[in-house]
Amino acid sequence: MRISTSYMAQQSVNTMLEGQSNLADLQNRINSGKRINSPSDDPVGATRALELTHMTADVAQYQRNITAANARLGLEDSALSASTDALTRVRTLLLEGMNGTQTDATRADIAAELTQIRTQLMGLANGKDGAGDFLFAGNQVGSQPFSVQSGNVVYTGDNGQRMIAAGPGMQVVTGDSGASVFMNIPTGNGTFQVSVPSTNTGSAVAGTLTVTDKSQWDNANYSIVFTAPDTYEVRDAGNNVVSNGTYTDTGSAVVAFKGVQVAISGKPAAGDTFNVAPSGQQDIFSTLGNIIDALKMPGGGADMQNALNQQFSNLDQAMDTITQTRSAIGGRMNALDQQASLNSDLTLQYQTALSDVQDLDYYDAISQLNLQNSALQAAQLTYTKVHSSSLFDYLR
Amino acid sequence: MADLLSTGVSGLLASQIGLATVSHNVANVNTDGYSRQVVQFSARPGQSMGQYYIGTGVNTTAVQRAYSQYLNTALWQASGDQSRAAVYQSLTAQLNNQLSGTTNLQSSLDAFYGALNDVSNSPADSAARSTLLARAGALASTFQSLSTQFNQLSTQSQRQLSDTVNQINSDSKSIAQLNEQIRSAYASGKGEPSDLLDQRDALIKKVSSQVGVSVVEQGDHTVSLFVGNGQALVNGVHASELATAQNAYDPTQLEVVAKDTGMVLTGQLGGGALGAILDFRANVLQPAQNQLGRAAVAMAQAFNAQHAQGMDLNGDMGGDFFSVGSPVVQLNSGNTGTATVSASVSDVSQLTAKDYVMRYDGTNWSLQDTAGNNIAMKGTGTAADPFTADGLSIVVGAGAAQGDSFKISPTSQAAGGFKSVITDPNKIAAAAPVVASKASGNTGSGTLDGISVSDPTNPNIKNTVNIVFTSATTYSVDGGPDQTFTAGQPITVNGWTLKLGGTPAANDSFTVKANANARGDNSNALTLTNVANLGVLDGGNTSVGRAYGQLTSQVGSAGSLAKDALSTQNSIYNQALATQQSVSGVNIDEEAASLVRYQQAYQASAQVIQTANQIFNALLSAVQS
Repeated sequence: MRISTSYMAQQSVNTMLEGQSNLADLQNRINSGKRINSPSDDPVGATRALELTHMTADVAQYQRNITAANARLGLEDSALSASTDALTRVRTLLLEGMNGTQTDATRADIAAELTQIRTQLMGLANGKDGAGDFLFAGNQVGSQPFSVQSGNVVYTGDNGQRMIAAGPGMQVVTGDSGASVFMNIPTGNGTFQVSVPSTNTGSAVAGTLTVTDKSQWDNANYSIVFTAPDTYEVRDAGNNVVSNGTYTDTGSAVVAFKGVQVAISGKPAAGDTFNVAPSGQQDIFSTLGNIIDALKMPGGGADMQNALNQQFSNLDQAMDTITQTRSAIGGRMNALDQQASLNSDLTLQYQTALSDVQDLDYYDAISQLNLQNSALQAAQLTYTKVHSSSLFDYLR
Repeated sequence: MADLLSTGVSGLLASQIGLATVSHNVANVNTDGYSRQVVQFSARPGQSMGQYYIGTGVNTTAVQRAYSQYLNTALWQASGDQSRAAVYQSLTAQLNNQLSGTTNLQSSLDAFYGALNDVSNSPADSAARSTLLARAGALASTFQSLSTQFNQLSTQSQRQLSDTVNQINSDSKSIAQLNEQIRSAYASGKGEPSDLLDQRDALIKKVSSQVGVSVVEQGDHTVSLFVGNGQALVNGVHASELATAQNAYDPTQLEVVAKDTGMVLTGQLGGGALGAILDFRANVLQPAQNQLGRAAVAMAQAFNAQHAQGMDLNGDMGGDFFSVGSPVVQLNSGNTGTATVSASVSDVSQLTAKDYVMRYDGTNWSLQDTAGNNIAMKGTGTAADPFTADGLSIVVGAGAAQGDSFKISPTSQAAGGFKSVITDPNKIAAAAPVVASKASGNTGSGTLDGISVSDPTNPNIKNTVNIVFTSATTYSVDGGPDQTFTAGQPITVNGWTLKLGGTPAANDSFTVKANANARGDNSNALTLTNVANLGVLDGGNTSVGRAYGQLTSQVGSAGSLAKDALSTQNSIYNQALATQQSVSGVNIDEEAASLVRYQQAYQASAQVIQTANQIFNALLSAVQS
């Protein structure tokens, strides 16, 4: 076939241009380290890369959320841990205060320390997180949740609990409201409580409260009335006798009715009454206040013992509540840790997939680069050889 | 005896013509479109000597170009296809580059939702809120800059369109002039005007690469060029011009028309650079812009809808977070009626990336997409009962005349008009507007199973409402009439929906009230973060990010196909060119050989003349002596 001289020259140039263009393309890929530099390099891969990048970003965000949640839960846990310590000290002081060897003066000292602890607890309950938000204010994080109004501590936060997204479809609570931790604490043993009117004249003291059969307990008010120092009647709200029995002060005598038991010790007088009622709610500060008030009762008689016994149950309830909250926090942090490790696995998977989709195989690319380079050199060499001579060179 | 001198001279002359042609070929070795010329010789009739003939030399009968009509036609066709592929590839590559740059919508979306998560983690933190607003602004500018880049590409392709049309006009005028010259050259009977024919062929190839043409050779050696469905570009010695004119609906879009008749040719032109530009505009760029716009509409509507259900730090219900460009309605410049048409997006899940044309036939309105498919509409077109189709609400005014039409582009301007509206960090509605609580004295087992906003526009939404159970199965709202209670069944009052479970006892009560002062509430922010992966489009299957993925894949596929097509067309063109050049191209070595050949023939002819001279001298000296 006849070859036109200009066409042949143009063909050689085209080959070199194409070789250079391929080289530039390869160079671009090697520089960026990516196989896909424009969607047209691999439309499906480019779309997949977008999705994977988005999923990786999502998981990274979940990890950030988990970090934030852990920080918040950690702060809450420390505050509650400090509260537990304070309450343990209260318990010790209370036991000391109930000891018969105490005098009015020593009880006053104990009361003074308890007052300090109460202030400390207030501080803990009004604690803030790293962002300056109140930890125990529910969602009303901008205003102090606990304050003293006419002698009582009132809670002005709400019951809100903030959630964070820790994973796809997984949300974790990152806080507890002050109401649930410090305020809404059940009284008595959580099922019922006993109060002793100050009009009692005997020295009988109500002790341990026990639920023997919760199914029989009907959440109603009852009163244990001593008709004589050794007999008693249990009456309901309508003053109907539901049970009666005899009493001997053994130190561990119990009055049992409706599936509950009240331990009574000491010497009741005829007409002395013990009121049994369903558990109500009392905040931790009132419990402390009541203890302080009881310790200040002069003489430290049965009234004080009864009052302290009653608050002792309440104190245990408060400690229980905080312990339960702390174990819930632990559970949440555990769940967050598990999710975080799952998220790390996911990130790794997504990144591997993303790398498979868009990253350049350097070995392949470099060997292609060499190949293209050789091809270009060959094209250049061919050009110089082929076009260096024509028949005219030999016509002299 | 034959006339040795005359025979020698004829050889001398023939060799001279040969040499001249060779030098002409060598001179034009790099002339584009030049066809190699060859000299044709024939032996002069011999001189009869009775018994035999004596040759009398050579005649030069023609100087012709080496030419194949078939191969040239194939080359024109290949050139048109190759040029189309090249222009198409260049345009799609530009679009691809715009999507591969740093302005990646997906990463802007991720950054925005990341900032939103941070707000959700600490809703009262003003720094987190400000960052969110900055991210929202960045997201908006990504939408806008992508849209602007698409618009620039559109403007550029319009310019390219009119440049190409001008080029075609100028070339067809030249072809018509050459037709004139070639016709008169032939008419004068002086043989084939090779160089004029070559010039004309080169121009035809050029026009062919601008716009696919069909070439018809006429009896008088002129050629006629036709485009589209038979629109003449060159008819003998007359050139008809093409022109650009504004689209009947959209003055910013140019159409190609026949200049003398004004007939719109846009739909008929598929070949050459012009075809590539029109194809790219209609099938790649506009769909890409609409697809981007659709993602913008989805983002704005889905996010705004959820944001409206929340409450901001000022205690107000969430306002619009983003705004987006509205559907564009353009009336046909030929409309005779006075009716106006307005369109809005009413159901984003049904929204498509198409454009539509709305027509009035004198009694009824009908809707078609730009591909010509009929779209069924519901409704009557009044403001109270608008036409609805493909997620659009269309209201038509009175006064339409028969044949009036309107173009509706629901999404073309949406991305360009995408803005972040909120500037005050306090106006980010992260909290829930209402909060439900259970009275502490409740004796039943009734539980709060969640409260959500069903109508954020209800003015009473934040009023305090007490739900008191009058029995285990009936309740009263704010002392109203008893209503039957079924556990888990939503109770809807004042625009909120409350779910209660369990078995409440008589006199149990639940209260719903404004979530006042709840700076730490992130309920709505948490729900807003889910909008990122929420199916919004295509009947609730496609998220905003996924819609951008679709756009990337559309544009990427177009670019990838264009690259492949270009490489195919390049080799087809090269093949056609090689074949055509094998006939018509100049080969220097061949010309060198011819040069030697003619030179030798010339020298030999000169020798013949010298021999004749010597013979004559010998004769003279014989006579003298």
